[in-house]
Amino acid sequence: MLTKDEGERYDRQMMLRGFGRQGQERLKRAKVFIAGAGGLGSSATTYLTAAGVGIIRIVDHDRVELSNLNRQVLHWDEDIGKRKVDSAMEKLIKLNPRVKIEAIAERITEANVSELVAGFDLIVDAMDNLPTRYLLNKTALEKNIPFFHGAVYGFEGRAMTVIPGETACLRCVYRGVILDEKFPVIGVTPAVIGCIQAAEVIKYLLGIGQLLTNRLLIYDGLNMKFTEFRVKKDPNCPHCGQLARGNR
Amino acid sequence: MSIRINLHPTLYSFANNQAVVEVNGRTVGECLKELVKQFPQIKPMLFDKKGGLLNYVEIYVNQGSSYPEELAKPVRDRDELHITLIIAGG
Repeated sequence: MLTKDEGERYDRQMMLRGFGRQGQERLKRAKVFIAGAGGLGSSATTYLTAAGVGIIRIVDHDRVELSNLNRQVLHWDEDIGKRKVDSAMEKLIKLNPRVKIEAIAERITEANVSELVAGFDLIVDAMDNLPTRYLLNKTALEKNIPFFHGAVYGFEGRAMTVIPGETACLRCVYRGVILDEKFPVIGVTPAVIGCIQAAEVIKYLLGIGQLLTNRLLIYDGLNMKFTEFRVKKDPNCPHCGQLARGNR
Repeated sequence: MSIRINLHPTLYSFANNQAVVEVNGRTVGECLKELVKQFPQIKPMLFDKKGGLLNYVEIYVNQGSSYPEELAKPVRDRDELHITLIIAGG
């Protein structure tokens, strides 16, 4: 049930076709897990908080560094040295105190991932490395939790939505590993991709529009182009293919 | 058989700063072979020492994934290839 104050706060989005009070109530009931409070996490979390998602759990073990501030806009100069999740929570609570923010300063590992995501409706992949992305993808499939992928490099970004059991997963598309090293990036790139992830989450929760499923969207900021690539479930995928099902 | 290959931005500098290169070929493998012939410095960016495609390289034909057996995938005149690389930054 929305309060009078919430009715006014979310008035403009409730005017959208397929949204309404009912849609806003759905957002209010939703529990969203955000893996990473960096560039993508800053952008996705800000807009999900503004939109009025009920509970947002942010998980990140890092502390804010000066070199983060060109892109991780939830963290400011005064936050250097703080835990990223605490810095993020401070801003998000001020942005929208009606949203419950849970800050967990832990590294996501095989040992704790199940417990961390338990009870959440969906996972936003805002990580900065492939091994953890793969771990989250696998966990999402095992627990039947929709997974919203985003990644950036320089002026380039990509996004894809995974509905377990129905669509291609991250491992159907990504087969390799790349070195976990310092990468170039300009802040506008995670801003764009994080917003796309947030838009996908909102659409999924409301059951409206067309999700980025079986489609990999690549954003090329240098040439200002969005290109969509068709992808499909890989029957031999180590996470969602026949082999994976046999191992469960 | 004219095929347009759209390069990933990190490869432009290996192809005289071109974003698109035209090649001839009947399969993805033949097209990439010709690309490498024109711009030999691209080879280590796409292939391992045994001649296989590096596992972080993705090839799309007319915007559809060419996985698996990417190199054997047939192409037709005026098809469009995209070479993309997986990224992981956040």
